[in-house]
Amino acid sequence: MQAFVDQLIQEGYFQGLPKEIIYLGAMLLAALVVLSFFVAPLAGITSWLERRVWARMQSRVGPNRVGPQGILQWLADGIKNLLKEDIIPSAADKWLFVLAPYIVFVGFLATFVVIPFGSQLIVADLNIGIFYLLAVTSLVVVGILMAGWASNNKWSLLGGMRSAAQIVSYEIPAGLAVLTIIFVAGTMSMQGIIKAQGWAPWDWFLFYNPFTFVAFFLYFTAALAEGNRTPFDIPEAESELVAGYVTEYSGMRFLFFFFAEWGNLYVIGAIATTLFLGGWQVPPVTDNPVLIGVLQFMVFFLKAYFWVFVAMWVRGTLPRVRVDQLMSACWKYLVPLSFVSLLGTAAWMVLYPKGNRLASFGMFLMGVAILLLFFKRVNYQIRHSRPEIYWKPYI
Amino acid sequence: MSTLVEYVGNVAETVTTIFEGMAITFSHFVRRPMTIQYPDRIEKPVQEMLPLRYRGILEVDLDICTGCLACERVCPITCITIGIEMNKETKQRSFSHFDIDICKCMYCGLCAEICPTGSIRHSQEFEGACYNPAGLVRHFVTEPVPLYKPKKGGETDAQMITKVELGLKYLDEFATPEEKVGGAGAEEG
Amino acid sequence: MSDPVHAESEAFHTEDMTISMGPQHPSTHGVLRFIVKTDGEVMREAIPDVGYLHRSIEKIGEKVTWHGYVPYTDRADYLAAMFTNQAFCMAAEKLAGVEVARRGEFCRVIACELNRIASHLIAVGSFGQDIGAVTPFIHALRERETINNLMEEICGARLTYNYIRIGGVGYDITPETCGRISEFLDHFELIVDEYNRLLSYNKIFIERLANIAVITREDAFQYNIVGPNLRASGVKWDIRRDIPYSVYPELEFDIPVGTGEKGTLGDCYDRYIVRIREMQESCRILHQCLKMLPKGPAIAKVARKFKPPAGEIYVRVEAPRGDMGFYVVSDGSEYAYRVRIRTGSFTAMSLINKISRGLMVADLIALIASLDVDAPEIDR
Repeated sequence: MQAFVDQLIQEGYFQGLPKEIIYLGAMLLAALVVLSFFVAPLAGITSWLERRVWARMQSRVGPNRVGPQGILQWLADGIKNLLKEDIIPSAADKWLFVLAPYIVFVGFLATFVVIPFGSQLIVADLNIGIFYLLAVTSLVVVGILMAGWASNNKWSLLGGMRSAAQIVSYEIPAGLAVLTIIFVAGTMSMQGIIKAQGWAPWDWFLFYNPFTFVAFFLYFTAALAEGNRTPFDIPEAESELVAGYVTEYSGMRFLFFFFAEWGNLYVIGAIATTLFLGGWQVPPVTDNPVLIGVLQFMVFFLKAYFWVFVAMWVRGTLPRVRVDQLMSACWKYLVPLSFVSLLGTAAWMVLYPKGNRLASFGMFLMGVAILLLFFKRVNYQIRHSRPEIYWKPYI
Repeated sequence: MSTLVEYVGNVAETVTTIFEGMAITFSHFVRRPMTIQYPDRIEKPVQEMLPLRYRGILEVDLDICTGCLACERVCPITCITIGIEMNKETKQRSFSHFDIDICKCMYCGLCAEICPTGSIRHSQEFEGACYNPAGLVRHFVTEPVPLYKPKKGGETDAQMITKVELGLKYLDEFATPEEKVGGAGAEEG
Repeated sequence: MSDPVHAESEAFHTEDMTISMGPQHPSTHGVLRFIVKTDGEVMREAIPDVGYLHRSIEKIGEKVTWHGYVPYTDRADYLAAMFTNQAFCMAAEKLAGVEVARRGEFCRVIACELNRIASHLIAVGSFGQDIGAVTPFIHALRERETINNLMEEICGARLTYNYIRIGGVGYDITPETCGRISEFLDHFELIVDEYNRLLSYNKIFIERLANIAVITREDAFQYNIVGPNLRASGVKWDIRRDIPYSVYPELEFDIPVGTGEKGTLGDCYDRYIVRIREMQESCRILHQCLKMLPKGPAIAKVARKFKPPAGEIYVRVEAPRGDMGFYVVSDGSEYAYRVRIRTGSFTAMSLINKISRGLMVADLIALIASLDVDAPEIDR
């Protein structure tokens, strides 16, 4: 994007304002465009999709009345929450209470400046892109702790403490898995990592060697834990602590936390796609730059959104783990495994400095085999539980 | 060594059971949902699809009520109040009020079983909500109605035949098996 | 396990946190309140506070007639309404010496076992939901909807049935209904297998429940725990087998007992898996009853103004939550003199304080859910 703005300055727009001001204005404009036209509707539609996906997995229909197929449900929810009374508990610490949702929001929104939507469509291609992402997503811990403490409620405090422990611990396996990919790619810049992959599945880093395959699942699990999603949603476990650290929040403030959570799902998917699934790489079908841009955007979006769907799917399937099991899973299982994958990748790179195409192809075939096995099991479930009885609803 | 085997076994078991669980939820995802979207996306109203024995809100057909007060006596929660008055000149007894409080009613069916003509019945109606608590007491007498005397040798009046038969048919389906000849218990089974 | 924690807290000066898991809580089954004193995550004690759903059902028994009291017994435990109906009717019949119609006995067993399946579906479903798995709960409710439809065909109501009457049953079961019941059973047995694959064998679920809140055999006897909770601790006691009533002596079924297969004997997982196995046994009983259903009237002749001779009696049935006892005293009039209901959930509440020492707050939820306590049964 910097090249584009430089070109505009060359052509004589902005009549001689200092360069920094122009850059600042351009960045603010880009951030505004991304946030209001992409992030806000995206978080809303993710909330609708989550409810529909969840409902279909429970043999019922989700919200389908507001707008075509219920797609405007999030607007209705947002307007309803804006109209609610703003309750701040009298014994709560007012400034921290009010500030907490905004810090969580900042921690989540600041990640969008480095998400690569296309080869030219990135707000700022920092050369420490992925490192910046990991750093900025840790801001949410501060927000959650503030929310838990400022509510002046023992349940919220418990929730906030648990959440802080959880997020801080799971940074480590996530960071190590990311480090594995940085080893292979050789750069921390998001565009650089994508350019080091190809468009075909066997060129993706997911199938590069068995260690990165394992690193992917470690990253996904750790990212789910950081995003407070089931099976790690203890801080907001609604059957244990009423609502955890958001118990005292109501109206739009309450919705901010969930807005950040759903948007965070997309960020998780986007990082997973960038690092492991080849980002916006498309097969070279056309020369038209606009068409290529659109195609890349769509491919990236679909790949990232598929992982959002998987996160919703996991939420609908698995029960919650307990706090001490969460910690033991992190420190006893995920951290050693991520160290193993890191060292394994390093050893692989020493053995095969240019990569091993054959091994990648073999891993790809193994991935396809796992997918086929999965569909075979699904078929077995459908045949085995005789769905005919559902087809005669006898009222 | 055994701890390593146990460790790997734990990881393997977790992964396989999660895989299986996700296969099951995905299989439900692609099946048809079981929801019946009431009240607008169904072919017939629900009230027509309920079984005949369904114990909905009570209704009374005063034209065939004999005024025996059996339902008022048997109700365990005294939600039926009946008033009968005698007209001094014509010596004709008629109803002054017949009220059923549907929010007290337990929908137990004891009153419908004991009625000799089947005039008090459970309808298939279940949507009784209203904005005003006074609307929850159903008044069935708007003008004084004379009591019904069942005629020996069957009913002759054309209008009354349908009502009487409707009441008897309801009792056939609903009353306790030993009380009615040819009731629900004796022939089936 | 908790000793190092307590020793450290004596070196510092720390205070316990008193939390009220109040009557409005998504996962106490009904309106129950617990006053929980915790030291961080680990609990010191959990004191139950009951009485939020008291409706004086026992006192009402002295004010309404014998036939009229049967709908009230439905509400004493609305998830297992057939069993309360049956217990009261058995008490009245034994006092008056009424012989129940044979077909009525079989209809009673069919209705009761269907209701047992429905109640256990709610128990395991809400257990899953308290642990965090929301999908199995909805699947269990979907199956329960079919059972509700069957009940609606049989007796006209979906939850509070008033079906089992003094002398037999209120309405007969038609052959079409019998066909639908066996169709449902063929489908349901496969669904239980699917439910097991989704939830019971899930490693996270097992880790949450194994070795948690163990109730030993001696504790169970001391605190008078009954029902699936007792059987999960290894005691093979079932009223249908040991103090038989109705036509259960003629039916063939097993009593599932906890074996500590995934942890210790008597932990939460045992209590959960015993309920799943009981559902499968109920399917077996239902298949036999549907085959053995005799012809004849479904109810014996009983006077409208029922006046049993003076006397007292204690009747026990095997309800889904344990041994439900009705102690009925009659003084010869058309109202009972005293009705006393003894339920399994009430005694299970007394055990929670002892077992919860040293557990974590999340385990308290698992414990309450595994005991399958039910607020209407506790408070009546």
